[in-house]
Amino acid sequence: MLNNLTRRTLMKGIAAAGLTSVLGGRAAMAADEPLGITLVIPSPVGDVGWGHALAAGLEPVKAAYGDKVKVTVIENIPEGPDADRIMNKTVSDGNKFLIAGSFGYQNGALQIARRNPAVTVLHASGFQVAPNFSPFAAKYFQGTYLLGMAAAALSKTGKLGSVSAFAIPELITSINAFTLGAQAVNPDVEVSVVWVNSWFDPAKEQEAAKALMAQKCDVIFSNAQDTPSVISACEEAGVYAFNLNSSMKKYAPKTYLGCVATDWSPFFKASVDAHVAGTFKGANAFLGVSDAVVEVVDWNPDIPVDVMTRIKAIEAKIADGSFSPFTGPITKADGSEGVATGTTLPDGEIVAMDWHIKGVATPLPK
Amino acid sequence: MNALEFILAGMLAAATPFLLAALGELVVERAGVLNLGVEGMMAFGAVVAFIIVHQDGGHLLGFVAAGLGSAALSLVFAVIALGLRANQVAIGLAIGVLGQGLSALFGKSYESLTVKGLPRLALPWLSEIPVVGGLFMQDVVVWLSLAATLAIWATFAYTKLGLVIRAIGENPKAAHAIGYSVVAVRFAAVAFGGAMAGFAGAYAAVVYTPLWADGMIAGRGWIAIALVVFGTWLTGRIFLGACLFGAVSLMGLAAQATGLDVPSQVLASLPYLVTIIVLGVISADRRLLKLNGVASLGEPFER
Repeated sequence: MLNNLTRRTLMKGIAAAGLTSVLGGRAAMAADEPLGITLVIPSPVGDVGWGHALAAGLEPVKAAYGDKVKVTVIENIPEGPDADRIMNKTVSDGNKFLIAGSFGYQNGALQIARRNPAVTVLHASGFQVAPNFSPFAAKYFQGTYLLGMAAAALSKTGKLGSVSAFAIPELITSINAFTLGAQAVNPDVEVSVVWVNSWFDPAKEQEAAKALMAQKCDVIFSNAQDTPSVISACEEAGVYAFNLNSSMKKYAPKTYLGCVATDWSPFFKASVDAHVAGTFKGANAFLGVSDAVVEVVDWNPDIPVDVMTRIKAIEAKIADGSFSPFTGPITKADGSEGVATGTTLPDGEIVAMDWHIKGVATPLPK
Repeated sequence: MNALEFILAGMLAAATPFLLAALGELVVERAGVLNLGVEGMMAFGAVVAFIIVHQDGGHLLGFVAAGLGSAALSLVFAVIALGLRANQVAIGLAIGVLGQGLSALFGKSYESLTVKGLPRLALPWLSEIPVVGGLFMQDVVVWLSLAATLAIWATFAYTKLGLVIRAIGENPKAAHAIGYSVVAVRFAAVAFGGAMAGFAGAYAAVVYTPLWADGMIAGRGWIAIALVVFGTWLTGRIFLGACLFGAVSLMGLAAQATGLDVPSQVLASLPYLVTIIVLGVISADRRLLKLNGVASLGEPFER
């Protein structure tokens, strides 16, 4: 009996080794040992927000694989040496699938991927790619465009606002698309932006929202805030607001405009499937509506029916790829040409966007 | 409401967390003790108040519990730093980390939840003045912290208690020689500082930004400590510094909202710069600085 078992294990080992060499160094998991999946994120996993969205994206993976996977979420890990140490530890503990949930984890995570070819690494918002290392990001701008249309239709003052964390391309792109969507409904609309220069400071975020309201902004875009700071302040003031990642409708039952929700599960599931099959190939994953990763949910019933019909039509065109918010002519805030008439900005330029479009009233910090 | 009205209306509320914590630290430092754990005590007070308010215990109970909780935490500091005469800087930092850790632990299941804040109470007549009227519409905690500022100023300026605290901070040996219990007064001062930090945290979590999120104090405790130093241990200047800091932070946000062409990074650092420069200029007189400074600050007392 013991002999048998040993031999069987041995056979399996040989088979696995053979498979490994065939598939270029990526090990198939041992059949009886669950695949260890670790998610590392910089913030706490709340009921809402970025960390919540990532953790929720792993649920369908758990459901599909049952006890064949073991998911560990490590939260509140600041970017830096601490993160590198923790990620290294999880890999040396035998976890073979690592999701590095913040841009600042990039270098540490990439080193781990290079040193451990058998480990698959997914990295949020980065740009580095390796055979077993995929950066992933959401096309939030597809959703903010649609919400821009709704915002312009509901605004009485024609002034919209955005409370934004840092002036990085991802956030700039979201603001630009929001403005373009709003202009599609009301060409005279004006968008003001307050950069709080912090990923996390609920009090300051709320002050920023109030500063925008004082300038008569009556729809506010909570751009990359992980807590309902902006959303709840807007509900109290009777101002429409929306956010990214996960729905905060319960914090603003009356004035919640909608949510550019991200559902990472199709991407996570496909990546885990590929890892298990040994076919994972690192690539830049820039995912949007057509990948079922980005979807606008919890639309406010106050949005006029005719506008909603237009929004749904545009949404369908974004989904089938026949429309991109960044289709020319688009003028930059400084008056120069952003996108030429009839052309569409390629993904590569969208992810590097460092200019505001005309209509954004606040100058971009340099 | 224009930008100016926005700043005037929001300034006092924005200053309140800093003011409360700094007033507490002022009393602690005046007694000759340096407690650097303000950030952690604020975080602990914040989570205690939040949990109670979220469980429908009410704001009053929330504040009381936050004050008691943070005072208890500060007494841990007092026992080690004053009783066992350990290094105050090290113990203060440790208590700060402990407070933040405890707040994360207790707040785990309350992450990102919200509660209702407090209504603003308007002073009759004054709140109807155009432009500056907003200044006179504040929640009850703001009014109480203004009263606390006055009370602490009066205590140091006019009462025997104030003199005793100052004497113990200046020359604990002399104070001991004439019969005052240095350690007992310092214990009380530290507990008072802890309670005030707890109130400050409670204000942040259940009135100002009525939500709980781990790390929401975001460095405000450190700014409070800095205000005490830059305010040269004078109540009036600390009040001025807190208001200035609040006003300039709001100004930075309002400037962006109006579309002013100033880089937001500059606006974000402005509150620190302006507060340091203004308080630095006021207290440029070295003689006065020496006079106001606390002679035995941070030194353990041995009979």
